[in-house]
Amino acid sequence: MSAVVKTTTPFVIEEVLMLALEVAGAEPQLVTTELLGTLAQRNQIQAGDILINRSDYNGRQFFRKLGDRWSLLHDSDELSARVVSQLGDRRYTPVTRFLTNLSLTYDHAYQRHLENLAGQERVRLENERKARVEATRLQAIAKAKAQGYTIKETSNSKGQIQLVLTRMA
Amino acid sequence: MPEQKIVITIDNDGGISAKTSGFKGHSCLEALDALLDLDGVVSNVTKNDEFHQQQIMPQTRTLEIKRKL
Repeated sequence: MSAVVKTTTPFVIEEVLMLALEVAGAEPQLVTTELLGTLAQRNQIQAGDILINRSDYNGRQFFRKLGDRWSLLHDSDELSARVVSQLGDRRYTPVTRFLTNLSLTYDHAYQRHLENLAGQERVRLENERKARVEATRLQAIAKAKAQGYTIKETSNSKGQIQLVLTRMA
Repeated sequence: MPEQKIVITIDNDGGISAKTSGFKGHSCLEALDALLDLDGVVSNVTKNDEFHQQQIMPQTRTLEIKRKL
């Protein structure tokens, strides 16, 4: 018998879920069409699912995106439950405890994700600002040259670009 | 032949301020417009006394503008 568990923390972002699963030691593996051909189990796994190292009567447990969130699909009775790990002995924990711990890990990963986004946004804005200043500078220089000005470029005490244009009237 | 001079300062956000000297009256604004495409984006124009003495001592007039981002 299969079951789907919904957690209090919605697992919405694949990247964050993958990171949280890594940290939780669940050895996540994104299912590709190539990988599908190598897997044999009762559960119908699809490309795009995320396999983890927990196994039960139906085979490997996995996350699938249902609607806007990822849910864990597993045998509801947790028959033959075990961890199939490539990293040595790992103990199987009941699904509810596993998901409770994963929720905490996901929250931490989500905070880091938000910080990364904020950092990327700061970099984007800074690059935009530099590009705006450079475009203004190049445009002013090009027009000044075309209008016969002699151009001297300096910077003032605030580090701002100064263009001194001169020509004879 | 008088020298026309324009000092353009580009601030850290790409905003521009400019000072001119050696222009006759409104020709300084025309010169800045030709250089900086000012139409509709000037936030501040400061004219000093010399600006209004346009036909008397053109080489000493100055004008300062600031352009919005």
